[in-house]
Amino acid sequence: MTTIAMGEMEQLRKEADNLKDQITAARKAMQDTTLQEAAASINVVGRVQLKTRKTLRGHLAKIYAMHWSTDSKLCVSASQDGKLIVWDSITTNKVNAIPLKSSWVMTCAYAPSGNLVACGGLDNMCSIYNLKGKDGNVKVMRELAAHTGYLSCCRFLSDSEIITSSGDCTCVLWDIETGTQKTIFAGHQGDCMSLAVSPDFKFFISGACDFTAKLWDIREGTCRQTFGGHESDINAIGFFPNGNAVITGSDDASCKLYDLRADQELITYQDSSIMCGVTSLAPSLSGRLLLAGYDDFNVNIWDTLKAERVGVLAGHDNRVSCIGVSSDGMACCTGSWDSFLKIWN
Amino acid sequence: MDNGMSSKTHNANSILLARRTVLQLRTEASRERMKVSKASADLMNYCTEHAMADPLLVGFPTSDNPFKDKKPCTIL
Repeated sequence: MTTIAMGEMEQLRKEADNLKDQITAARKAMQDTTLQEAAASINVVGRVQLKTRKTLRGHLAKIYAMHWSTDSKLCVSASQDGKLIVWDSITTNKVNAIPLKSSWVMTCAYAPSGNLVACGGLDNMCSIYNLKGKDGNVKVMRELAAHTGYLSCCRFLSDSEIITSSGDCTCVLWDIETGTQKTIFAGHQGDCMSLAVSPDFKFFISGACDFTAKLWDIREGTCRQTFGGHESDINAIGFFPNGNAVITGSDDASCKLYDLRADQELITYQDSSIMCGVTSLAPSLSGRLLLAGYDDFNVNIWDTLKAERVGVLAGHDNRVSCIGVSSDGMACCTGSWDSFLKIWN
Repeated sequence: MDNGMSSKTHNANSILLARRTVLQLRTEASRERMKVSKASADLMNYCTEHAMADPLLVGFPTSDNPFKDKKPCTIL
């Protein structure tokens, strides 16, 4: 590097360090209490005991992802047996069994309208399927290709827009109609593993292998906030139901809650007896419970305000890879490497 | 470092990245923040307000469970 360039690098490095210190100090200045202290006067919720009500059998290999339809009845799952299955969770019937071009699928999503599903994985693409085609056959509607790394997660904003996260360290907002990238969200310094859209559809959050979570403004295309603190990859991420907080799950065996307006971590959900990574998470309807899936085949249920474990869902014979609470809050669905999905309430 | 980039390009990229990082940090540093006491109170209030409508938290009668097992039929 030239001396001039080295000088500028050094200057920029110093300014970056100063700004990081400023952010740390500004966050500290907001700490007039902790969530733990503020919640001291409320009681831990009683033991939560959920039972398996349905087992969805049909996949022939590990299940990597599942997503509820907004009707709280249908759900879609993706397995490395190369199939996307749309289930009626109440009757356990398979409504659609969609064969995939690539069996290395890592994520799936149901559009809010119920008309489309999407999936993707090691093919680096997000494939969109129309469930409501004229002749009744489910066909690929679009293949969204541009990522240079695996597709880790995808979520529809509507039938015309979808957001994807990728092992190429970026997230992308796509126009499904034209199959083009509308916005590229760059900034993470590690594979993006998971994303979640805010309840008002204005923002989304991403969790990555750089141990941080980022909040993005969908229309502005900018990163508004970055949250650190985890000591390993963030595998799972979700919004607290009021949209003002974010929950992350990591390979460091903990989940964390970050408040968006205080711009900092408020509480950590961890226990010395839990030593394996968090794979997936979903809050209950009120946000008071956090259901988190772990590598040790269990789901732990946490009281989000007291950070105490209040229940366990034990029933899978392998890693719980995905979890979702239906929109009406009536049931939780878990998907596992044991090839089964279970419905609990 | 053998990826076809000249060392000039590599250095130019490093500086661009560093500049972008600083710009991003400036944006993040300048945002408004709320006190933890208010943020915590809002979370707690939301939980309380919605508790009774949270089926997994408060439970519900078996008769209202769409996932309940159907009673076995008896053939008369």
